[in-house]
Amino acid sequence: MRIISSSFSTTGEMNQRNPKSFKSAVENYSAKSKNHPKSAVIFNKKIALKILIIEDEEGLRESIEEYFSEAGNICETVANYRDALVKVNLYRYDCILLDITLPGGNGIDILKNLKEHNHPDGVLIISAKNSLDDRLDGLNLGADDYLVKPFHLSELKARVSAIIRRKTFNGSNLLIFNEITIDLLAKEVKVDKSLVKLTRKEYALLLYFLANKGKVVSKNAIAEHLWGDGIDMANNFDFIYSHIKNIRKKLMEAGCNDYIQAAYGMGYKFTEQ
Amino acid sequence: MKLSAKYNRVNFITTIVVMLITGLVYYQAISWILTRQKDKDLKVEEQEIFEFVRLNHHLPQIFESNDQQISFSEAPSGSVRREFINTVYFKQWGKDAFHRKHGGKIRGEYEAGRGLITSVSVGDKYYKVRIVESKVETEDLIRLIFTITIGVILLLLLVLLTTNWLILNRLWRPFYGIMKELRLFSVTDSKEISKQDTAIDEFKELNHAVAEMAAKAKHDYKDLKIFTENASHELLTPIAVINSKLDTLIQTENFSDRQSKLLNDLYSAVSRLNRLNQSLLLLVKIENRLLHERHPINLRELVEEMIAQFEEIFHDKGLKLTCNLDDKEISASPYLAEILLNNLFSNAVRHNYSGGEIRIGLNAGCLTMQNTGDDNPLPVEKIFTRFHKSSGSEGSGLGLTISRQICENFGYKLNYYFSAGFHTFVVDFINK
Repeated sequence: MRIISSSFSTTGEMNQRNPKSFKSAVENYSAKSKNHPKSAVIFNKKIALKILIIEDEEGLRESIEEYFSEAGNICETVANYRDALVKVNLYRYDCILLDITLPGGNGIDILKNLKEHNHPDGVLIISAKNSLDDRLDGLNLGADDYLVKPFHLSELKARVSAIIRRKTFNGSNLLIFNEITIDLLAKEVKVDKSLVKLTRKEYALLLYFLANKGKVVSKNAIAEHLWGDGIDMANNFDFIYSHIKNIRKKLMEAGCNDYIQAAYGMGYKFTEQ
Repeated sequence: MKLSAKYNRVNFITTIVVMLITGLVYYQAISWILTRQKDKDLKVEEQEIFEFVRLNHHLPQIFESNDQQISFSEAPSGSVRREFINTVYFKQWGKDAFHRKHGGKIRGEYEAGRGLITSVSVGDKYYKVRIVESKVETEDLIRLIFTITIGVILLLLLVLLTTNWLILNRLWRPFYGIMKELRLFSVTDSKEISKQDTAIDEFKELNHAVAEMAAKAKHDYKDLKIFTENASHELLTPIAVINSKLDTLIQTENFSDRQSKLLNDLYSAVSRLNRLNQSLLLLVKIENRLLHERHPINLRELVEEMIAQFEEIFHDKGLKLTCNLDDKEISASPYLAEILLNNLFSNAVRHNYSGGEIRIGLNAGCLTMQNTGDDNPLPVEKIFTRFHKSSGSEGSGLGLTISRQICENFGYKLNYYFSAGFHTFVVDFINK
């Protein structure tokens, strides 16, 4: 079975399975880009992000904090409702990772509080409650995305990146990493001005790697991102290998450096070195 | 059988039996009283004969009166025992023109009669006296009384049945009202069991009990939903921690081949554990009909999306795909429909061999999913049970159980058959 993690995801460019919501996301982008000059996210520039992790489970909180704490990023953590409410009312964050079930209160109330005060922080709900009601409640109340536990940290990172890209850079539609330029609106990838034709899944995979730059991304995480976690093709990740091979081939043929490395047979790493 | 029919039948039979017995007793009683009356008449007659003999010292002249015949015959002394007998009375038709003699024979008819055998001594002669009276009038009387009684019984029965029918129908109206409410009852909606307007205590009680039960069912259902969610939370959080720790662990550099093999195994075990847990929760949700929203879905589009989704996997395994898809609109939960298709597709791939074939057909009547694979048919009765797995299967063993549950939830039927080397699963939209 597959949990519809992507059907409701607002990570626009990664959403392939729900053409309708993708379309609305695209319209959203274009509406924004009329008001703002085209801006670009330059990925190899270090941009300090401020992230608040509201999660009561210590193990998970620490893992997320460690994964997000790259050079320059500021990660703050709180473990209960009261502290979380104080933090969100005192400081502003680029993205808040919000657990629904918290000691002392409900994460939804924190979201309501944020929206009442018109705080612009991006909110990603992480919850074990995979019930449609909760999901819709969260999204209707103004959360930017909803991720169901358990998730891969790389998936979380990709979603957070998408939210921050939309919030902080006013829906910029260009993503630049060294010689690679990705037009999120047109879903086009260029290497030094020359167009690289990627399939839908290869494109999604490239974005996923960029969001998790410098991290080892496990094959499980890739499979679940591209095919949903219901894919249930346990231990048979040969098809991922052929995907990766194709992307590398296409990018290198266009004159791109080889950024994708295999990591100990467990996964892959997109890295500058 | 309806209660009223059953009730009427019992009522009818007992009434008839009781009436028959009553009729019989009644008949016997009247018959006995009238016979006694006859016997009294006979005794009077006997007395008259004795009186006549005592006064005149000879036998009275035998004459025939209406409905009475007396005959004397000589008998050995003391041989006659006095007794009343039931006998026949030969009624001779009158000698008037209306009744004629016929062939020398005396025309007449036999009627039921009551007789008295007695004896009289005239001088030294001993006579047997036989007095017979016709009982025909008595019989007529009895018959009349009996007919009237039967008539009254029938009328009573008719009236009883009609009133019963009317009363039962009216009486049971609240019952049918409660039945209707029960049939429409669903634990998921918020509608309460409405109060029936009735003055009958039993139905009031029933209504009360039903309303209470419904409230309890709703409460339990809510509890279960909360439990399901809690269980999900409690289980998923540790899995999430393991998952995130693994993700963090692989960021630390320099693993030996052996270590990375171990990590890979851990990853797949956790992902399996997760899928298993999700499947169980989903199954509970479907069985409790927690996912019951309905939207129109174009199944053909969904199947095509799913094909695109699985494209690389088909390609990777060298599977040949044949599609024959018509437009088909269904009203179902998109979430469940997607899970159903995902399961069917996953199965078709997982139990296939490299270079095998998959055929997908969709028409107004059914969705068929055929795949090559093992040469032997699967045990139909087992494949839909929980945790049934074919040897070497990597799945949770819940996929087909979930698929069947989803189909039942939609009001469809999921069937399996094996023919010409193809394992075929059919989602039947029509035959339930």
